[in-house]
Amino acid sequence: MKFLRDLWRICRADKPALIGAIVILIYLAVAIIGPFATHVGYQKNPALAYLPPSLKYPLGTDFLGNSVLSELIIGTRPIMEVGILAAVMVVTVGVTVGLVSGYRGGVMDQVVMRITDVFLTIPGLPLVIVIASIVRTTSPFALAAILSVTGWAGLARAVRSQALSLRTSDFIDAARVQGLPLRNMVARQLLPNVGPYVAIHFLLAVTDAIYAEVGLYLLGVAPISGTNWGIMLNLALSQGALYTTQSALYLFSPMLAIVFLQVALVYFSRAMDRLFNPRLRVQ
Amino acid sequence: MASFLAKRLALALVTIYAVVTLTFFMVRLMPGNAMSYLEAQLSQQGGLTTQQIAAKVQEAYGVQPTGPLWHQYLSYLGNAVHGNFGTSILDPGKTVLSVVAGALPWTLLVVGLALLISFAIGVIIGTLIAAFPQSMLAKIATGVVSFLAAVPNYIIALVLIYLVADQEHLLPASGPYSLTTTPGWNVSFISSVLQHALLPVLSYVIVAFGSWALTMKGSVSTILGADYVRAGEARGLSRYRVTRSYIGRNAMLPMVTNLGLSLGYMFGGSVFIETFFVYPGLGYYLVQSVNQRDYPVMMGCFLLITIAVVVSNLIVDLAYPLVDPRIMSPGRARQTGLTVSGRAAEAQTADPAGRPAA
Repeated sequence: MKFLRDLWRICRADKPALIGAIVILIYLAVAIIGPFATHVGYQKNPALAYLPPSLKYPLGTDFLGNSVLSELIIGTRPIMEVGILAAVMVVTVGVTVGLVSGYRGGVMDQVVMRITDVFLTIPGLPLVIVIASIVRTTSPFALAAILSVTGWAGLARAVRSQALSLRTSDFIDAARVQGLPLRNMVARQLLPNVGPYVAIHFLLAVTDAIYAEVGLYLLGVAPISGTNWGIMLNLALSQGALYTTQSALYLFSPMLAIVFLQVALVYFSRAMDRLFNPRLRVQ
Repeated sequence: MASFLAKRLALALVTIYAVVTLTFFMVRLMPGNAMSYLEAQLSQQGGLTTQQIAAKVQEAYGVQPTGPLWHQYLSYLGNAVHGNFGTSILDPGKTVLSVVAGALPWTLLVVGLALLISFAIGVIIGTLIAAFPQSMLAKIATGVVSFLAAVPNYIIALVLIYLVADQEHLLPASGPYSLTTTPGWNVSFISSVLQHALLPVLSYVIVAFGSWALTMKGSVSTILGADYVRAGEARGLSRYRVTRSYIGRNAMLPMVTNLGLSLGYMFGGSVFIETFFVYPGLGYYLVQSVNQRDYPVMMGCFLLITIAVVVSNLIVDLAYPLVDPRIMSPGRARQTGLTVSGRAAEAQTADPAGRPAA
């Protein structure tokens, strides 16, 4: 409860962070209830294609005659779903590897860190594209796993260095004297101490995953089926939206949807940073 | 120093080896196996004997498809060492090496220019924001910068194409140079190359300079309050000297560290930017070959992007001792007064290495 009170106090002082939090909540709500509120058809209806904005179609219609607003709403869930799933995977793997490696130390730590270094150096996005092109999956779990293939490395490194410094502290000595098993040492003793860092990294991992996911659809590497913002952009581009002004809304709505979400996540992550890192609050 | 460089070099080699191995097993073992896909495609076309199909597959991937896996792996490695990555499936006359070697300079040109420009702008803006945190301009700049740093680069690229290139026809939006110019060291060709590179470079810069500025701002504002800066001011050193030697050089350290990390992002981003600007670099060919299922070219592009990132990382590592001499001889900081040469003494005053490591 104290956590929420602190969060609210900081958000109230930091307007961008507050707006970020509200925007994230709205997106989550749309992702959950959106598919019940509206629907999108896949039949072409030329009479309704590229209509200008009206009361019935606030953002106009696309080349099939679907409401762009409905598509945006329907498209929220798949994007958020995969983004959050990928971030959960990144955080789980990164924290586990980092904590165990840092706490155990020794040869295992050296080996794991060299592997981490390799993953940190390989450019993530091209690797994701290569894997996605070979696997060609529509399952959100598989897509999230592909997107998190290199993301865990940075977190693992940071968490490991924290675990290294925690290793010599008194409460860890005390726990060790009690003969607690490794699982307890990692999950109950070390994890709560790196929690703040993990929370911030989680938000940034969501932005990374959404960036890469939309990119995959945009390039046509992920299978084009269903409706999401990346697919909307892909279809808009392939319908020549860059060369005409009549479909500007169709092209720019998904872009704005992505930008708002990304910016909101980054701004909110700064409030989290302040919440956990009291030294920042003085400034 | 030598061990530092040896470690970085070893890491670079291991990374390249890992990627070569990864590409082999992805082509060979993943579901939808690319080599058997090609075999199936060739046998569907008909008119070819099994041996002919095997020979074609071997030509494309440089590997005998029927041999045992470890044997295939070894011959793949041997080929890779000799720069033989097979030939393009769609265009059998072209070796993968010639495709990627032709693409690399364009990617290096655009990514290199973008990195230099965004780094320079970021340093200047970040320093200004940190120096005058209360001014209205700094507040606006912080807002703009942190907003832009969160926008995906492909969106910037698409907006630029829409606004500047396609609707207004102000700047060329596709290709590396105008077809009416002849490649060579002449003015019209070079200016055409720069004109065509302008929008792609701009798309990188708009996204990247924000995070440089934020890093620089954070770095400068922690150093502003440091004891050794106050000590320098108290000794009556000129403002310029304090800013340049005490604040500037130390604030650059996290920036140089970040250079290595951002290289992966920059080269990765080429996938989008080169595709949308139809710019024939590695990212463009990577996406093209992915969409056409030309796996040898795809793997070659991926490998070369990785090598480019690894080599640029090595260059950053080599340059790091120039920025932070403490890395060369970690013990020297404690031997103040016992400096060997005048050059070292000068380095000591320029870089306040005499302070105990934090």
